Amino acid sequence: MSDNLSSSKELQNSIEKIMKKVQYENYDEWVTNFAINLSNIWNEKSAKSLQPLINENFQNEEESAIVIGRGPSIEKYEQLKILADSDYQGTIVCCDGKLSDALKAGVTPDKFHKFFVTTIDPYKDIKKHYDHEIINTYGSKIKGIFTVIANPNAVECARQSGIQIHWMHSLLDYNEGEKSLNYLSALMIRAKDNNHRLPAIQTGGNVGTSSWFIAWQILKCTTVALIGINHGWEESDSWEKIMSHGNMLETKNVDKNSPSFKKLFKTIHNPDFNCNCILDPLFQFYSEALKEFISRSPEWLNTINATEGGSIFGERIKSMKFRDFLNNFNY
Amino acid sequence: MKTNFKKNNSNSSESNEKTSDFVIQGHKVPEKKLTKEEFEEYIVSSGAKGSFMVYRSEKKDEELGLEEL
Repeated sequence: MSDNLSSSKELQNSIEKIMKKVQYENYDEWVTNFAINLSNIWNEKSAKSLQPLINENFQNEEESAIVIGRGPSIEKYEQLKILADSDYQGTIVCCDGKLSDALKAGVTPDKFHKFFVTTIDPYKDIKKHYDHEIINTYGSKIKGIFTVIANPNAVECARQSGIQIHWMHSLLDYNEGEKSLNYLSALMIRAKDNNHRLPAIQTGGNVGTSSWFIAWQILKCTTVALIGINHGWEESDSWEKIMSHGNMLETKNVDKNSPSFKKLFKTIHNPDFNCNCILDPLFQFYSEALKEFISRSPEWLNTINATEGGSIFGERIKSMKFRDFLNNFNY
Repeated sequence: MKTNFKKNNSNSSESNEKTSDFVIQGHKVPEKKLTKEEFEEYIVSSGAKGSFMVYRSEKKDEELGLEEL
């Protein structure tokens, strides 16, 4: 590693190493979460049970899904309202942070029967995503997919609302073998029933990318559309918001023309939607990872970006307006 | 997402310095020659703490997930 971060690939590798290091600062919390969750994991379903039956030719039935994130385009283009007014027949995979907004907008399991919510982050703050009266109204008709290291209070809040809990692993350290948390937690989950096996997904660092993986890896949808997955900021967003990754915190003494600033906060042009967006270092990390995994995904999978903005474009990604997706992929 | 950001309401002389560096929670990000260490300091300060890493393996297919574990 050279002293200067001179290329985007080098930058990405550096970020991945940093994120790995940062991640392990929370290792104890994850192990604690898993230990508290374990008795429920034994008694509740594996997310594997959500997989559709594969036909005799081992080919997936044509099935589409919409992944709902909470990027700014979803409000800008009123995409929840568009979806609520549609007769879409496919699967909804909603990130936890957008669940209450989706329900309030009329995107409900009463209208869309194949309705899933996903939780990846293991932190106690996630509970707030499930602590809404409207989730109590619809919870029993929603299937939740949770990582085994999710915060137990967050899972319990979802459980109390009636959400049916389904468990999965998030891949952390399985490459490190039999002493890895992934391996040991799987062993403990199978302690009572060796058939109680859970799928393990790549998170890509965030719940949006995880939901894309869940849509095709677990739910086996052959077409996955993204809305609200900007992985970037709007040019109209304040620098205060951008520089603090959305936390609206004070920054100062910023020379936005400096080379290092431009390296950290890149403005890129999205040719598919003919718009610009700004990537902070975290969104650079998320965006590069998701684009990489889409490019490496199985040939039978179509990924459609209907976000109408943001940084996700390129190899194996078809971009279109959300209305066009609903008109052409209603299955 | 968790963050290490804290509001900096300080009116210290540092905040009044004319400089091209920017300051977040007391950390300066220099204008030139961004090093790995400086970048790491920035990432941790800017909200990366609490995020997940990307899972990497020598078995590249494994990076796309496992049917069951």
